[in-house]
Amino acid sequence: MSLNGSTSNGLQRLTAQLAPLLIVCALVFALPVLLNNDFLLNKVARYLVLGILTISLGLSWGFGGILNLGQAMSFGLGSYAMAMALKLKTIPVHTGASGLPDFMVWNNVQALPWFWVPFRSLPFAIAAGMIVPALVAAALGWFMFRGRVTGVYVSIITLATMVVINLVIIDQQSYTGGFNGITDLAQLEIFGVAFDAYGRATYYLVAGCMMLSLLVAFAFTKSRAGLIVQAIRDHESRVRYFGYDVALYQIFVFALSAAIAGLAGMLYTVVMEFASPTFLGVQLSLSVVVWCAVGGRQSLVGSFLGAVLVAGMQGALSESAAFLETWTLVMGALFVLVVLFLPKGLAGLAQVVWRWIVQRRQAAGGVAQGVGQTEGST
Amino acid sequence: MSISRRRLLRNTAAFGALAGAGFPHIWIKNADLAYAAGGEIKVGVLFSLTGTTAIIEESLNKATLLAIEEINAAGGIKGSKIVPIVEDPASDPATFSEKARKLVVGDKCVSVFGSYTSASRKAVLPVFERQNNLYWYPTLYEGRECSKNVIYTGAVPNQQQDEFVPWLIKKFGKKFYLIGSNYIYPKEENNYCKKLLEKYGGEVVAEEYVPLGHSEFSSVINKIRSTQPNVIFSTVVGDSVVALHRQYRAAGLDPEKMPMASLTTSENEVAAMGGEAAAGHFTSAPYFMVHKSPENQKFVEAYKKRWGADKVTHFVSEACYFQTYLFKQAVEKLATSDLTPPNIRDAVKGQETIAPQGKVRLEAENLHTWLWPKIAQAKSDGQFEILVEAKEWLKPVPYAAYPGQSCTEKGLVEKS
Repeated sequence: MSLNGSTSNGLQRLTAQLAPLLIVCALVFALPVLLNNDFLLNKVARYLVLGILTISLGLSWGFGGILNLGQAMSFGLGSYAMAMALKLKTIPVHTGASGLPDFMVWNNVQALPWFWVPFRSLPFAIAAGMIVPALVAAALGWFMFRGRVTGVYVSIITLATMVVINLVIIDQQSYTGGFNGITDLAQLEIFGVAFDAYGRATYYLVAGCMMLSLLVAFAFTKSRAGLIVQAIRDHESRVRYFGYDVALYQIFVFALSAAIAGLAGMLYTVVMEFASPTFLGVQLSLSVVVWCAVGGRQSLVGSFLGAVLVAGMQGALSESAAFLETWTLVMGALFVLVVLFLPKGLAGLAQVVWRWIVQRRQAAGGVAQGVGQTEGST
Repeated sequence: MSISRRRLLRNTAAFGALAGAGFPHIWIKNADLAYAAGGEIKVGVLFSLTGTTAIIEESLNKATLLAIEEINAAGGIKGSKIVPIVEDPASDPATFSEKARKLVVGDKCVSVFGSYTSASRKAVLPVFERQNNLYWYPTLYEGRECSKNVIYTGAVPNQQQDEFVPWLIKKFGKKFYLIGSNYIYPKEENNYCKKLLEKYGGEVVAEEYVPLGHSEFSSVINKIRSTQPNVIFSTVVGDSVVALHRQYRAAGLDPEKMPMASLTTSENEVAAMGGEAAAGHFTSAPYFMVHKSPENQKFVEAYKKRWGADKVTHFVSEACYFQTYLFKQAVEKLATSDLTPPNIRDAVKGQETIAPQGKVRLEAENLHTWLWPKIAQAKSDGQFEILVEAKEWLKPVPYAAYPGQSCTEKGLVEKS
């Protein structure tokens, strides 16, 4: 019952799909006006960053069908890229102009390692924070998708790769700060604007990046490549018979997702003021999958809201005296309920509600027209 | 349409109820309160109650709460009650940072007591420095930190090793095998140990680091057999301590000839591994549960009465306990209107209190604490026997391994 042949109808559908995305962005940008509290803004900024990370997973899992259990790897790499640049900025203050980061001094390192040197340039660091995770993902994707690895094996490989990188970072403490991570950083400054973790500038920076990520991801899902990626998700071999290079598309969406996660990681360092090996830990990585599932993985806005709501709720529950001892149980029960009763997550629920309203209205108005399908909305 | 209307309604209602239970907390605004409003002094208590380090950190939470309850029961501080706000940072550095922000900026606590691992302290440090608040850190650690926003009440390397290393050389011999977990704390302790070995004519036969959480020590034990050290100097932490002791015993090595000398094995770890595995090995620390003093007797009795007769006290929980009393003394010195974190810091400088381990003093120069080093041997009943007690308390020197540097009231000073 598809009536989307005409351009106006297609445009209408696009608007309908963009609407929730724009509403969410507008709310995020309006929040500082409503909420005159720097502490809460800082807290929300952290949740927004986790939201961006979850958008990136939604892109590869919900649209590409690639369940990346190591999504935090890209996030962590981005986070370390930013932390390295901000750490180098503290050198003149901490250890003199020709000095080294403090943890290197502690580990008796004599000269700045070669891979730290380019991070003296902030633009390089920012580019590296996205390009390095994308390249690592592309390389990993090349091996996996060229080798036609699918399903649960992809999840195992991505998870294992992340654990390996995590262990290397903890082990090479002379170059990475080890278990403590990279701490005691300078403030990020771009074009003379200082991004204080508690300031509004940082909040707007995060909000801006979140909107950008959402729009880029949305544009990708509507592009030709994006449609092919979704087709691969639904029926890989059929797409291959059509003559498409399936692996190439998979590698692309995998790398794009990693780049967005890297961006989120960089923002996380700015908001949290440190980088830690736990940022590419199993716990965070699996949490992202849960947020994505709760929000609805086939919806970018849904994934985003899933992260913000669940992380926010987790924070609120663990801070309320009543749940201090039991908050992990409550969160667990919530996930079980969502998985059992809302397989498509909150986005699925919103979709059903919306269709139900539309149908009621049409039934009341006696309009006998079919409803344009809203599958695979934003 | 795959979902029926009834099912949808049911689901919506269920989720709505859950959401209602959780969300209102997010939106409560914090009124701008003074630090001691309405006869209440708010402090944060930030020890993990869940996650990997929960077992040890729970005991720190309990010791802190015990001290707060005692102070309140005795009338509070000049009539004001201490109100502890307990948060669970879940053994995760990012959560530590989030909860620290909540306590400092959201709740406007005047001080926060917290952290076991250095990683978590490093994670919250920017919060306390940027907000100029005060963090009370009870754990022994590697030193080499000179923050104006942290009060350190645990031992630094010189306080655990100055007496210990020469004693070990004299009693067992000069060949040391250094084994530690792979992170900054063991490396710094070993840096200092090597300096002392050089000074007293000892030697290092091997220096080895195992990953955190490592539990397979057979290759280490083989190496110990082949190098035949006189002392195994251990800075292994957490569950690895338990594994190392058990496997040492299973391999049939003899603590009489080749003991482990640890800076990290407390009553808590001994309880986890069982007294049999620990028996015969040595630990250096400022406090042991068996220490005889009226203050310690009172502390141990109160702790058991409050939290259970099977509970043990140890050198980190003791520091939690006495640092809360140091906090009280500092606040007592201030007028209510002057109650701010920087003023508390200035007031606590030079404060003395009779802790369970003996009389301690907070050093004005570097905000670390004068402590009473002790050397003890573990026994099979899970307790220690104190063999050597320092005759004088020992000054904290957080930069002991780095003669060119010292921590002063103005910050880190380098002598060139």
